[in-house]
Amino acid sequence: MAKFIAKRVALGLITLFLLSVLVFFMANVLPGNVGRRVLGPFASPQAVAALNHQLGTDQPLVTQYVDQMKGYLKGDMGTTVATRQPVSDVLWPALWRSAKLAILAFIIVVPLSILGGVYAALHEGSLRDRVITVGGLSAAAVPDFVWAVVLLIVFSLGLGLLPSTAAFPDGSGVLTQVKYLLLPAFCLVFVLFGYIARMARAGTIESLDADYTRTAVIKGLPQRAVLRRHVLRNSLLPTIAVIATQVGYLMGGLVVIELIFNYQGIGQMIFRAATQKDFPSLEAAVLVVGVVFLVSTLIADILYSVLNPRVRLGGAES
Amino acid sequence: MSQRETTRRVDAIRAGSSELENHLIDEYDAGHISRRDFVRRGTVIGMSVPIIGFLASACGTGKKTSTGGASTGTAVQAGGKEVQVRPGGTLKLGMSPGPTTEIDPIKVADEGGLGVMSQSGEFLSWSDNKLQLQPRLAESWKPNADGSVWTFKIRQGVTFHDGTPMTANDVASSMNALSDPKNGSNALSTFAGVLSKDSAKAVDDSTVTFELDGPNGNFPYLVSSDNYNALIVPASFSGKWEKTFPGTGPWKMERYTPNSGISYVKNADYWDKSRVPKLDRQEVKFYPKEQAQILAMQSGEVDVLVHFSPTGGRALLNDPNITVIELRSSVHREVHMRNDKAPFNDKRVRQAMALAVDRKALVNGLFGGKADIGNDSPFAPVFPTTDKSVPQREQDLAKAKALMQEAGVNGASVELNTWDGFELSDLAQLLQTYGQKIGLRLTPNVTDAGTYYGDAVFGKSPWLDSTMGITDYGHRGVPNLFLTAQLTSKGVWNAAHFRNPTYDGLVKEYVQALDIGAQRAAAKKIQVLLLDETPNIYPYFYFFLTSTKKNVGNVEVSAMGHYDITKAGFTTGS
Repeated sequence: MAKFIAKRVALGLITLFLLSVLVFFMANVLPGNVGRRVLGPFASPQAVAALNHQLGTDQPLVTQYVDQMKGYLKGDMGTTVATRQPVSDVLWPALWRSAKLAILAFIIVVPLSILGGVYAALHEGSLRDRVITVGGLSAAAVPDFVWAVVLLIVFSLGLGLLPSTAAFPDGSGVLTQVKYLLLPAFCLVFVLFGYIARMARAGTIESLDADYTRTAVIKGLPQRAVLRRHVLRNSLLPTIAVIATQVGYLMGGLVVIELIFNYQGIGQMIFRAATQKDFPSLEAAVLVVGVVFLVSTLIADILYSVLNPRVRLGGAES
Repeated sequence: MSQRETTRRVDAIRAGSSELENHLIDEYDAGHISRRDFVRRGTVIGMSVPIIGFLASACGTGKKTSTGGASTGTAVQAGGKEVQVRPGGTLKLGMSPGPTTEIDPIKVADEGGLGVMSQSGEFLSWSDNKLQLQPRLAESWKPNADGSVWTFKIRQGVTFHDGTPMTANDVASSMNALSDPKNGSNALSTFAGVLSKDSAKAVDDSTVTFELDGPNGNFPYLVSSDNYNALIVPASFSGKWEKTFPGTGPWKMERYTPNSGISYVKNADYWDKSRVPKLDRQEVKFYPKEQAQILAMQSGEVDVLVHFSPTGGRALLNDPNITVIELRSSVHREVHMRNDKAPFNDKRVRQAMALAVDRKALVNGLFGGKADIGNDSPFAPVFPTTDKSVPQREQDLAKAKALMQEAGVNGASVELNTWDGFELSDLAQLLQTYGQKIGLRLTPNVTDAGTYYGDAVFGKSPWLDSTMGITDYGHRGVPNLFLTAQLTSKGVWNAAHFRNPTYDGLVKEYVQALDIGAQRAAAKKIQVLLLDETPNIYPYFYFFLTSTKKNVGNVEVSAMGHYDITKAGFTTGS
């Protein structure tokens, strides 16, 4: 296990390095220069040149990249190009906000979709099964921003039950924060429910058909015990993998949802950085999301092996 | 007051007035300019507001002027009359997109930055929604005989929020910081050819002189709130301005979170007691996308939207719970046609394209009627110097086709460049349709803003190099910058590559003119010349829209993006 984790961490570091190179140079391929982007088209060329000099964006690309990496090694992520704040002052609060939204979405969607999937599997072929699977897939097929608009029109503008923004006031308590985050969280629930429920359903059906389940039933175990001890433990393995891979999406891929609900998460930060050619912010945010992806998939793999002793991580090589 | 006493007072005022002021009084007395233009021009050349008010009622023949700016600058709907409001409370405002860069008076270039900056900071004068200059940190100002030197009297007894007195030295240092190329100020575009480095001098504690590069009749606008950057900051200030927002204004910054929002508390010690805020606080939330702020207004989370576009905020226009304040403005789109490249090197082709455009349909279709129709020059109807007797260009397809035939151009293909903001891509498609009607094949090429503007210098910018393109321009209180930068031979934004010595001479004449009669005479010649040459199409000038809840009163805005809520509050009945 230790060898496996060390190998994955090493590979992860290589991935992050490649990611940093890719993001930096791809972002620099975009037309227009940084000073011009910040000051706008009507600023004088002297003003643009002065800002580029101040930002160091008039230096060769390789120098800029090396300087940025040196900063990372010293724990300095640099300053944002447009608002001239330390990147870390923007990044960590944004990451924490995205995490809050992801946690709330998970708290709702994981039990709901697993229950739905298992229930559908137990009633395979019935109308209830079809409602859950077809309904879940239909919901997932609708883009998240469409859900956002629909939910806003119904619950915010129509019924006036929930705020139209996710930006909760500073110093809000947990319940207030939940109230502000409910609508965007439900957009994610609709998108993820069908996917996770389908995995849970497929896993459950497979486990229900397995020999060990038949044996457990024949030996007279109650249905609840069969489900808990034999079916669920085996059926949820692929579901856990699916859930873990969604963490990265929830932590960095919610650009549109965060924009619609005016939520200062990491998705919005990446969007803003990309449109403003704010390389220090873009690089740092993408790398952090990359780390989240790597860590969440690593955790998924470890969990997989813990839940299923048949999967021995790195065991084949040792 | 008896007629005799009135005459005596007018004579006394005239005796103490400069030649320029007397000329303006003569023009008004003879009915050549309207009352509104008299007031507006009076404020620009530095006449005191009480004297202007007295003369406006004592002089003037009441004749209707043929060229008066009857519809200029005023709120065309709502927001007009002051209403009773309750003292106290917190007003919540929405702003989209909010400040997008560090808030530094020298460099700020966006509407959001300007809007929040001017709550705690102040300018020498305030260009109000009628384009009249209201004295603020300057008490008065006067030009010399030819308008090449302007002297400003600086208000005494004003302190910055930290208690330091504001003096002429602060004013001179603020202005010199903007005109010094090494600081890379955004105001360098405005000051180019007008105000050079170190040209502002503090003569004593209360007097600042500006020695200009040449005569300029509209100079006070260039150092008013009309200039994004001309905020007065302490001469001794160094460091990040946005940490404390040091200024003299009626609001003190309480908390600022970039990209998120800002709050202010009222400055109870503000120097102008009539403008001490009635509210206790204001909170401004920033919305990166306009749709999010429209939703916030509809759901009641904010009381005011400082600015929304007619295209994005249509839902607000007919909402019975919302008041919309409309301001005519000079915000426009310039459709350039390269005068030195086929097929537009023949002016008949340019004229034909302009004649193919149905401006009324554009205004109604794109803006729901919330725009003025343009007449192919930067002279927007909002400007008092715009000569409205110049015939309006209307759609005339028969004439356009005849011109195309005369020019021998049929089926020419041209790429029409623009970027994917505002209504620009819709306008590009509509122009494509109009082009088809006269045998011009326009192919829209819509990119992102960075690609379109490129490096914004000739040779490195699709905006400035393309044969045809659409460019978005914000509001200015006077057309000087548009006239020079967009169209003179050396203009830095001359995307049409229009080179016309007669035009250059007329613009010089316009800029140097000190009285409104001379300005309007030059304006007419410019308008007629541009209508004939048609280097660019100016299809419309759209309105600046602000929305408030019904229970909010006395919100004032300017089309630059400034807002003034010192008198605002929640109405007494609410």
